Amino acid sequence: MRAVAGGQGDGEWALPGNGSAMVDLARQYPGGLAEPAARPRASMQRFLRRRSTIAVLMCLPLIAIVAGLIVYPALYSIYLAMLNKAQTRFVGLGNFAYLLQRDTFWMVVQQSAIFALSAVFFKALIGLITAHLVNNLPSKGQRKWRGMLLVPWVIPLALSTLGWWWLFDPTHSAFNWIIQSFGGNEIPWLSNPYWARFSVILVNVWYGAPFFLIMYLAALKSVPEQLYEAAQIDGANAWQRFLHITLPMMRNIIAITVLFSLIVTFANFDIVQIMTAGGPRNMTHVFATYAFLLGIRSGDLPLGASVSLFMFPILAISAMFILRGVRKRGREIG
Amino acid sequence: MTASVAISERPRLAAGASLKRNRRWALVTSYVFLILFAIFFLTPPYYMIVTSLKTDAEVAHLATNPWIISSGVTFEQYRLLFQGTDFLIYFKNTVIVTLCVVVISMVVSVLAAFSLSRMRFWGSGILATGIFLTYLIPDTLLFIPLFQIVRGLGLLNSYWSMVLVYPTLTVPFCTWIMIGYFQSIPKELDEAALIDGAGHMQMLLRIFIPVALPGIIAATIFAFTVSWAAFVYPIAFLFSADQQVLTVGTVTSLIKADVYKWGMLMAGALVAAAPPLVVYAFLMDYYIAGLTAGATKG
Amino acid sequence: MRRSTLSRRSLLRTTALAAASVVSAPYVRHSHAAGKLTLGVWDHWVPGANNTLTRLCNEWSDKNKVEVTIDYITSQGDKDILTASAEAQARAGHDIMSHRAWQIQVHRDVLEPVDDVINALIAKAGPISPVAEYLAKANGKWFGLPTTIGSQVKPCCSRIDLYKQHCGIDITKIFPNNPNRDPNLVDSWNWDLYLKTAEQLFKAGSPVGLPMGQTSDAIDSTGAMFRAFGSVMVDEKDNIKVDSNETRLALEYFKKLMPFNPPEVYAWDDAGNNRWLISGKGAGIMNPPSAWSVAKRDNPKVAEQCWTHDMPRGPAGRFVGQLPFFYGLWSFAQNKPAGKALLQFLSEKDQSRQLVEASNGYDLPSFKSFYDFDTWTKVEPPVGTVYNYPPRGDVEPSITGYPARPDVATQIYNQSIHTIMVAKVCQGNEPIDQVVKWAKSELEGMLRA
Repeated sequence: MRAVAGGQGDGEWALPGNGSAMVDLARQYPGGLAEPAARPRASMQRFLRRRSTIAVLMCLPLIAIVAGLIVYPALYSIYLAMLNKAQTRFVGLGNFAYLLQRDTFWMVVQQSAIFALSAVFFKALIGLITAHLVNNLPSKGQRKWRGMLLVPWVIPLALSTLGWWWLFDPTHSAFNWIIQSFGGNEIPWLSNPYWARFSVILVNVWYGAPFFLIMYLAALKSVPEQLYEAAQIDGANAWQRFLHITLPMMRNIIAITVLFSLIVTFANFDIVQIMTAGGPRNMTHVFATYAFLLGIRSGDLPLGASVSLFMFPILAISAMFILRGVRKRGREIG
Repeated sequence: MTASVAISERPRLAAGASLKRNRRWALVTSYVFLILFAIFFLTPPYYMIVTSLKTDAEVAHLATNPWIISSGVTFEQYRLLFQGTDFLIYFKNTVIVTLCVVVISMVVSVLAAFSLSRMRFWGSGILATGIFLTYLIPDTLLFIPLFQIVRGLGLLNSYWSMVLVYPTLTVPFCTWIMIGYFQSIPKELDEAALIDGAGHMQMLLRIFIPVALPGIIAATIFAFTVSWAAFVYPIAFLFSADQQVLTVGTVTSLIKADVYKWGMLMAGALVAAAPPLVVYAFLMDYYIAGLTAGATKG
Repeated sequence: MRRSTLSRRSLLRTTALAAASVVSAPYVRHSHAAGKLTLGVWDHWVPGANNTLTRLCNEWSDKNKVEVTIDYITSQGDKDILTASAEAQARAGHDIMSHRAWQIQVHRDVLEPVDDVINALIAKAGPISPVAEYLAKANGKWFGLPTTIGSQVKPCCSRIDLYKQHCGIDITKIFPNNPNRDPNLVDSWNWDLYLKTAEQLFKAGSPVGLPMGQTSDAIDSTGAMFRAFGSVMVDEKDNIKVDSNETRLALEYFKKLMPFNPPEVYAWDDAGNNRWLISGKGAGIMNPPSAWSVAKRDNPKVAEQCWTHDMPRGPAGRFVGQLPFFYGLWSFAQNKPAGKALLQFLSEKDQSRQLVEASNGYDLPSFKSFYDFDTWTKVEPPVGTVYNYPPRGDVEPSITGYPARPDVATQIYNQSIHTIMVAKVCQGNEPIDQVVKWAKSELEGMLRA
């Protein structure tokens, strides 16, 4: 059985297939996750029917949850976004038009984009770098280091954000204490809008980079060693080996993780809500916190829903690219 | 001859030596940078621990080095946390919610994964894609319509609403993980079992689950961690102290009046973060397996 | 035991289940109208103040055989507003909730009219403050009952020693703890003098701290300052008046004043200025006496130098930011008669006096006739520190958003238009005209929505 628990320090973990169930799915359904080809066997007709009934029954709870708590609310939010504040009248695209004319809303769009793009970029970068560094270590040590470096990811984000908030506190910031010990000026981590943006991105990068580390480390291990050796003998230096071997081999996994991360970072709520609540001057608001402010705090659920829905195009486009990437990788391997 | 041998020998020796030197250089730089990264990643937890062990006076005092404990370690913050606040209520609620959600998630996803990975039926391909896609819909898009729905069900301000909505966060991905694990189980096993007259449920229980146990553990850990750390739904749907869960409770309700008791807040944050950390420490490989079973949230 | 001593939730039990209609419960008409009442009350910032309310409710509960439960909910992170909003949406929750500032108007469709209680109180205690009326009345009906608990104004609270040392001013002479004020001195305390002293204090390393974030401390004080310059956002006829000389005058003033504040004021929440004063770093804030009360406990040296006094005078008058609290009885509450009875009991003079006493003078009743409580003369150190807390002289309480109609004013308040304008000018260095234009467009949006 390949599905075995990871050994001690051999660097291999329990990974079905080649580390990606998604990829396996793509292989299983080579038509690109479309409907499978039917396999009728006349004599087994009854058996098949019985089988598929059981199959559907087993899937029912999942279908119920997905349909009732994901798909239905998503569609409902579209309807909700077209009502007025008291939810008595239908106003069509009124809420969307209203938002598009608000300066604050455009600032939210801008900030969400800056936040998501820069955070994901740095997370991927740090993930890639640390993956290489850990990979360079002897196998025994890798497990220890990997364990240490994943800690930010394990701590619930809301709680670690609390810790960061304390680190940034205007009067008591431990970071400022260090800076001032060296004679510098204290930094207004959360009071100045641009520093506040930086702080929020920093926390997100701190939290998410370890995840990229793990993903890229797994991917690095799947690159055959011989390729590197051959290149080295041919005189390629480390940078060239990276550019011409590592990157192309990892291109798909990088694309997939980056796109996923874009979606999740774009929709992030915890960090901004806890550290800045969108301030100062509404300049750190992202879609999620702005929707919370308008929808829940000010009691205008339809308007809040409209804000959330603006995330949808980004999500859809990213999802499309991810699907494509998954299928490509499936084809690569299978 | 010796000369030619010597000549041909030298480049290879030189190449070998330079390879080793490169290795060592790479190793040293790796360690140096890794230590820097480790400092970056571990600084906040370290500081949280240090703060939680300080007295209130030392926390408020501005002149001393905040990175070390200068006036003696105290567990007063923890005592205050457990005896003087609603923290334990939050803990209890979170445990209840998480247990229920983990059970529900695993049952639903194992059944569905078994069905989707082994049994083709009309629409199973679409369903598989659909699950994948719904996983991409973030909770911050759903929480507003769900607020209406939960309100309609009369579950607003009850932690049972969490038991209702958390599975949306866990089930798609757990199903996904399990599909991967189930698929790697050879079909011969199925056929052997079928020939022996085993029904599908028996096949699932007697063969698949035991064989895919690592995957189940990984998925369970994932469901546990996600439920424990959820923040958006509780902050939107829960309001009273007796219904609140740890993440929201620690961050919003432990703050009384105007002077934040940071020592106690940090103690609260650490205790609340402890269960996932403990699970991670003991089951690290399963934890990571769960993560890497597909490119996921990050 | 932990519950009764340390937790915020107090469960008050009754000895007998038998109902009894008592004098203090005039609305309890039926003999079986006992039962339960749940209250969601603002978690007081003055240490220990909650206990008096608990005790008073206990007394009432024993006499009237109604089980009363109180949840104390903090206003940090707008928890109180969020809870009330959720309850209004869910049509379920506490029977009586605290609402601050505009929240009564926000929820008036789900609140029970309380005119009967109000009229009974006015009959005994005289007129209610006009600000309270503006905030709690709609369509001629009262939907909220002004409470003593939490109702506050935000006058100056300054350090006697620092003002003496760095500005040569004795604020205890300008605003003494007795009714004999020197009109010339009082007149001299205007915004120009405030600016001058702010600069002196800043240069001496002990600046004043005016919060400029998006929480109520900032919104209340800043709104009052704008009003002192005669600036109006939207008038009662829905005309947008922000684009005026008065507004520009106010913004110019802030442009000169804000640099003399610590830079973190733009991110302060409601506790920011308290911490600033208590730490000893600040020379003055605009706050009710909670900061002084906590300083008494945590930094007595600072506390004994605190003096609460009137706001400076502006071209259009002397205004102080007010934040009234109201009790609201939900229309879906189960036990409305008992609720009204309890509310009337808590608002009467004797109970109000006890509550004011428990809060060290923080709580401000909405009946001017109650300003004669001796708490404000007695508490110390220093003696008379909060004598000038209740608005006595020519100072007028003001609520940010006035005089726009409630639906619009709520938005002006909740979206902190005033403080964002100041922050844009002073922190963002945007030209004043641009900021005024931005405010105008925001206000247009509010009128439309």
